[in-house]
Amino acid sequence: MEGVFWFSVLFVFYVYLGYPAVLLIWKRIGARPVQKKYSEPTVSVVIAAHNEKQRIEEKLRNCLSLRYPKDKLQIVVSLDGPTDGSEFLVWKYAAQGIEMVHSRQHTGKAGALNRAMRRATGEIVVFADVRQMFDGDSIRELVANFADESVGAVSGELLLMGKGEQEATTDVGLYWRYEKALRSFESQIHSIAGATGAIYAIRRELYEELPEDTLLDDVLTPLRIVLRGKRTVFDADAKAYDTVACCPLAEYGRKVRTLAGNYQLLKQLPESLAPWRNPIFIQFVSHKVGRLLVPWALTALFVSNLFMLHGVYVLSFSMQVTWYLFAGAGYLMSKREIAVPALIPGESKRAA
Amino acid sequence: MKRMLSLPYTFVLMNWAAVAGLYYFITGKKDVWSKSNSWHKHKT
Repeated sequence: MEGVFWFSVLFVFYVYLGYPAVLLIWKRIGARPVQKKYSEPTVSVVIAAHNEKQRIEEKLRNCLSLRYPKDKLQIVVSLDGPTDGSEFLVWKYAAQGIEMVHSRQHTGKAGALNRAMRRATGEIVVFADVRQMFDGDSIRELVANFADESVGAVSGELLLMGKGEQEATTDVGLYWRYEKALRSFESQIHSIAGATGAIYAIRRELYEELPEDTLLDDVLTPLRIVLRGKRTVFDADAKAYDTVACCPLAEYGRKVRTLAGNYQLLKQLPESLAPWRNPIFIQFVSHKVGRLLVPWALTALFVSNLFMLHGVYVLSFSMQVTWYLFAGAGYLMSKREIAVPALIPGESKRAA
Repeated sequence: MKRMLSLPYTFVLMNWAAVAGLYYFITGKKDVWSKSNSWHKHKT
């Protein structure tokens, strides 16, 4: 039991603290800076959407205002079986050059992306979600990375904004900042293990059709590119903006989907677990696979501690129990906070 | 006090998401679209 206990402790600490420390040292001795150079190749912005009547126009206006030559920028909106009339709104922008790929069938995001990619003509393809807005220079910044021949994909930075114009410092916001720091370190060494769906770009020639049930196109496509010998880098100068989730419970649904997608990824790309095939094997296992295993390590830690309630282990058990009691209290507090805004007129409208 | 409670809560919830993710993956309960985030507060 002692072995299980200490292995679990070391594992959890490695995933959250040890691995970032390893990256910090690794990037100091083996950083590979990207040779950015500003140029203006043809670019296709691909936006996949289902029912986005509320937000699609804002996104289209955002894309039309990007600082990039209009004759080199193609914007393709791929609608996946919308039932809310999104297609009529997109159609209004046809005269301004917005191209629409409309499927009556609802097949999922991967299918929508595949259809859009058959229409895309740009040398570089930028993928975007409807909800997040691009910074005016984001395309220019993303594209500059492709001057480096070793780069096959680039992820931009998604800023989760809190109140005012500041990046959020709530727990969800801090968690996201921690994630971005890891990606930045990984990028400086070789590649990140997944891009940000809201803003990432690839060389069009490297795109491979996605299986229709794919959950994480923004991880599968960049990882395929890495397995083909190119780099997937992170560029914090290419920015997109979103608002931070109001509470951890709001982030939970997205996280479940992401982590289910990581399991799916292991099935779709088993070669990612082969160190001789995956040039970022250590990063992939430490970052992606490690996160999948931490809950089991935490369970093993708790259970093994139950069998060793003596000496220093009494203290470790007390600490664990306190931690989980605090988590339970945090849950109750969070539930109360969600309920309160609904009682305030105006505030509930914003949350809807 | 709020941070003291919400940090362990966020940590536990994010780890529980990995267990739920495995369940969703095994049972095939997968949303083909990420849900529009109605929980997010949007700028007005």
